[in-house]
Amino acid sequence: MSESMETTIRDRARDLLEQEEVHCVIGYERGPRGDVRPAFIYQAEDAERLVWNQECGHNLVVYLHDRKLPLRKGEEPPRVAIVAKPCDVRALNVLLHEGQVARERVFVIGIACPGMWEDGEGSPLQARCRRCKERVPVLYDTLVGEPPEVEDVEEDWADLAELEAMTAEERLAFWVQEFQRCIRCYACRQACPGCYCYECVAEQVDPAWMGIAIDLPEVFFYHVMRAYHLAGRCVECDACERACPVGIPLSLLNRKIAKEVADLFGYRSGGDPQTPPPLATFKRDEDLPL
Amino acid sequence: MKATTRKDLIAWLTRLMEEYTVIAPAVVGDNVLYKRVASTDEIAFDFTRTDMSPKEHFFPDTQAILAITKGHGEVSLAEPPLEREQVVFGVRPCDARGLKVLDALLLEHQPADAYYAERREKTTLIGLACPEMWPGCFCTSLDSAPDEAGDMDAMLTEAGDSYLVQIVTKKGEDLAASLPLSKASQKRPQPKLSSESASVPSQEVWRQHFDDGVWARLADRCLSCRVCTYVCPTCRCFDVRDDVTQSGVEGSVIQRLRAWDSCLSEGYRRIAGGHDPRPTKMQRLRNRFYCKFHYCPQDFGPVACVGCGRCIVACPVSIDIAEMLGDVARLVDET
Amino acid sequence: METTNPMRPYLGTLVGVKDLATDIKLFQVELNDSQACERFTYLPGQFAFLSAFGVGEAPFGLASIPSRGPALDFAIAKVGTVTAALHAMEEGSIVGVRGPMGNCFPMEEIKGKNVIVLGGGIGGAPLRPVIHTILDQREDYGHLTILWAARHPSLLVFTDEYDDWRAAPRTELHLTVDQGDESWTDNVGLITELLEKVAPSPENAVTITCGPPIMIKFVMLTLQKLGFTAEQMITTLEAKMKCGIGKCGRCNLGEKFVCVDGPVFTYTEISQFLESFV
Repeated sequence: MSESMETTIRDRARDLLEQEEVHCVIGYERGPRGDVRPAFIYQAEDAERLVWNQECGHNLVVYLHDRKLPLRKGEEPPRVAIVAKPCDVRALNVLLHEGQVARERVFVIGIACPGMWEDGEGSPLQARCRRCKERVPVLYDTLVGEPPEVEDVEEDWADLAELEAMTAEERLAFWVQEFQRCIRCYACRQACPGCYCYECVAEQVDPAWMGIAIDLPEVFFYHVMRAYHLAGRCVECDACERACPVGIPLSLLNRKIAKEVADLFGYRSGGDPQTPPPLATFKRDEDLPL
Repeated sequence: MKATTRKDLIAWLTRLMEEYTVIAPAVVGDNVLYKRVASTDEIAFDFTRTDMSPKEHFFPDTQAILAITKGHGEVSLAEPPLEREQVVFGVRPCDARGLKVLDALLLEHQPADAYYAERREKTTLIGLACPEMWPGCFCTSLDSAPDEAGDMDAMLTEAGDSYLVQIVTKKGEDLAASLPLSKASQKRPQPKLSSESASVPSQEVWRQHFDDGVWARLADRCLSCRVCTYVCPTCRCFDVRDDVTQSGVEGSVIQRLRAWDSCLSEGYRRIAGGHDPRPTKMQRLRNRFYCKFHYCPQDFGPVACVGCGRCIVACPVSIDIAEMLGDVARLVDET
Repeated sequence: METTNPMRPYLGTLVGVKDLATDIKLFQVELNDSQACERFTYLPGQFAFLSAFGVGEAPFGLASIPSRGPALDFAIAKVGTVTAALHAMEEGSIVGVRGPMGNCFPMEEIKGKNVIVLGGGIGGAPLRPVIHTILDQREDYGHLTILWAARHPSLLVFTDEYDDWRAAPRTELHLTVDQGDESWTDNVGLITELLEKVAPSPENAVTITCGPPIMIKFVMLTLQKLGFTAEQMITTLEAKMKCGIGKCGRCNLGEKFVCVDGPVFTYTEISQFLESFV
């Protein structure tokens, strides 16, 4: 299945580039060391480099951040094609809501996704894939692959059970211990499709919301602030957690907030490009459970 | 060649902890990091390569470089207290070489960095030879080896139940004076070398290919996540900013902080007023590689890469410094 | 650690704070410690870091020369947090000073030559020591042509000195603004247009330029058109800095550090940079 999907992706990419419908196809390739990595195909003959398998875990939507601008002054921004799994497409929907990307500038090569391996062939699927209920993206310009058989997925939020069973003090101690390791590299932010601020609060000098120290008070503030800025926007793709060099379980933090948003607003982000996120929406007659 | 037993080594390290801050590889969550240890039980003797280099013990990720007190129209400055003597145990040859590179960058040209100088002077490096080269390692391509002792004060090589001991400097000799040593009964085992290598292009090649398209292609997938900079043994860019810790009618207490920064950061070169000579991701990524392989050799002598492979392992999008060197070398073949 | 620590500032007192132009002030600093005063010998073109304690520090060109007095002059525009903190200070405030840093203008080497000084906006600040040196040693230098520009008359710096400059022998001053106001009667236009109009001769001459990077770039091109060689064109660049002593790795243009290899560079050097300063 993977092989024929791979062929289809290459064919689509080749066509798009030959017909000059897009400036670039963003997909996946295998590097000389054997690991899968993002690929940027500009020439039709390079479409051969594209691969598709269960190691294609990166959320490529993050690369739409720096393709918003025209290549040359006075021109339109370039059109790109992007290989996107269901979780990636949810992130795209968030960017569409927020006017960060124009729909007509993105050609979505949607993937009917079998799930990503945790650690190479034969290993279990990643946590986000084990809990995934949708294997077909909600938006695409072309769909590659047959909708796979969806396994009996775990009940939602099971990963949060241990955290939620803790008292507030225990939960604080847990996060303090996790954030001790944080080196404030910002890999989590940079890998996140939802983080596109020109100047992050964490780095702003005027006003200086936080200092430059790579220390607990600052890193704690940074992570909680980022999680709140993603409330109602995070699509739980776990790109942040995968990027972290010291293994901080950021998924728990973002998912906990996503659960709060789901409970309060009945909303999960990225479901479609029209419904705006609740925290960015003002309704006069808002009826919140208190 | 001298040798010591594992038992004697552990006893010696335990004694050292009374007088020195002993730093050694230790398990922290899913990582192995050089950490201050209070007991030899914390030491991960069987580690391969730590996830971060030991540079943080010489160039801390956050350091108060000045204590400032303001009040009643007066200002007073104080420098941080003197550092304690340190021993870093288990340094790998690549990381010891990394410190030699930092020495060139921070100490060679006057004025020297006083903070790094103090820690460096007060630290003894007791290294541990690598039994083999691991995926990503390419120290042998950069004038070093998994058992290169020359950049340490003393180096141990594990051989069964004992450790072979090479004393390199007077500092190492002094510290090891209390370590029971006997004549080695075996030859020092040779490390298993890997077939991985990287050819480092000449300075002229770097100069000629600054505007080549290879940099834009590499930068395409870079996330500017900066992990490479932070795990690297030789990266030393830093930020400085004042932090007001206490403020009131009587005055304020301020720390001038120095913290790690990365040249890959967006806005790294943007001045107040808005001008930025390095506005694109490509320019910043290219600058980092040029700094390591062209600018540092020109300005300070050594290549600022030790082939430790950490950036290769840590990069979330598999930007591979050894592969990059190969790409640049290929450019020469093609012209 | 002793006071050989180059990251530790001297303490200085603001002995003068004067408005120069809109959001531009002249700060005059005297170092508190007499030993520090003795150690702080500086030359035209050098710079120092000023600390607004509690906010941070930033590099500024020295706009004075030691022979004219003990105060260190800095002409500073309010553009960021450190400059805003400085602008809020009154005379008597304590600041930190680290320096002097950088290389200097080749005032000795250019003796006997005609000197053309081109200053754009706040870029005039590091050029003031050049003008003062030449005026104070008038016989040692040839003809002095000063081209001074700003976006608007309210942004011209050192206006109270223009009469002195004009009054000096073999010295001419030309002013221009991008946009005039009701009382402006002098040139209107870019400094490059003024430069083409004045058209100084490259014969036995050097040019010293400072201003926004884009201005430096176009002035260099115009000077080339007028027949100046790269070696005759001297400029001083700025960059974001944190240490000023070649340690923090930030201010490089290719393998050159603006803080230790500069900030003064000839156009010959600049054309060999791998990176553009613009």
